[in-house]
Amino acid sequence: MKLEREYILKELSRIFNEKFEIKNPGVDDDLREEYEFDSIDAIELLVEIEKILGFPLSQEQKKMAMEVRTIEQICDYIQRMEYVGV
Amino acid sequence: MQPFFKHIKPAADLILTLIYWTYFTLGYIIFFLPLYLWSAFFSKDPEQSFQKLNHLFYKGFFGLVRSITPGLNFDIDEQVLSVRSSIIVCNHISYLDPILLISLYEKHKTIVKNIFFKLPVFGWVLKRSGYMPSASDAKLSEVMLRQVEGMHEYLASGGNLFVFPEGTRSRDGNIGKFEKGLFKIARFCHAPVKVFFIQNSNRLFYPGKFLFNTCTKNVIKLKLIGEITFDKQGKMPPVDDMIGMVRSMMETYNMDSGKKS
Repeated sequence: MKLEREYILKELSRIFNEKFEIKNPGVDDDLREEYEFDSIDAIELLVEIEKILGFPLSQEQKKMAMEVRTIEQICDYIQRMEYVGV
Repeated sequence: MQPFFKHIKPAADLILTLIYWTYFTLGYIIFFLPLYLWSAFFSKDPEQSFQKLNHLFYKGFFGLVRSITPGLNFDIDEQVLSVRSSIIVCNHISYLDPILLISLYEKHKTIVKNIFFKLPVFGWVLKRSGYMPSASDAKLSEVMLRQVEGMHEYLASGGNLFVFPEGTRSRDGNIGKFEKGLFKIARFCHAPVKVFFIQNSNRLFYPGKFLFNTCTKNVIKLKLIGEITFDKQGKMPPVDDMIGMVRSMMETYNMDSGKKS
């Protein structure tokens, strides 16, 4: 089943609020600059992304996520990983 | 200072400094480097073996320092020695602080500035010891990923992760600004945070000086001054709250011990 972008955004909003104490970040906000979202946060986020996707990511796939900076890019990443994982 | 020590102090500082550095260089190359190489190729758990060798090397260093430095004593809290499965945060006043903590725990990890990972031999030892880079650049992102993901299991097995949240040594004894990274790791791993306070290591080896300061009455103290742990639901406090709590513990202890002395 293909994940809808709207669903992904809603889930990310919930995760950022619950896990990272970041309320309603804008989709194009630079998370590192504006919210000090760093590589440790990114690793924690990957655990949540695996839950959304429903399958584990490989180390190579995870490494790709370390460079994402915005919610928009995270959405793209999740959709790309979903496509790869199918 | 006793008159006798006053006369010999400059020579003693130089001679003792040279002895310590000889241990650091020749002692490392002759006695420890072969053991590291053996561990790298033949140990069943190289990471644990490297940590144990680091621990023994620095335990030897402080054994040497303790036995030949006039006027120096150590006062290390019993509670400090019994800490396991925790994230340890400590104030930072001298280069001796991290190696003192390594000398206390056989099973330990720490966060090290990225630049040290790029040094020959030393960088290799850091990587093989399972230490973490302080920030993730493209080359170290794999190391960072592996270490953070494995930290929960490592702590559960009795290991400690110790970190100096100020990131650099304080020159005036005041507590500097904290980095958030280790508090995020505590949140991610649901691990208790133990707060340590170290004093007077900078009187033995002051930042920016080459010579050790010997022949002076000095007690290096290391105390457990507080703890932050998870609630009944297993949740840690928010990162900013943890930072505020640790800062408050350190500043209060620093102020109280300043009044006493």
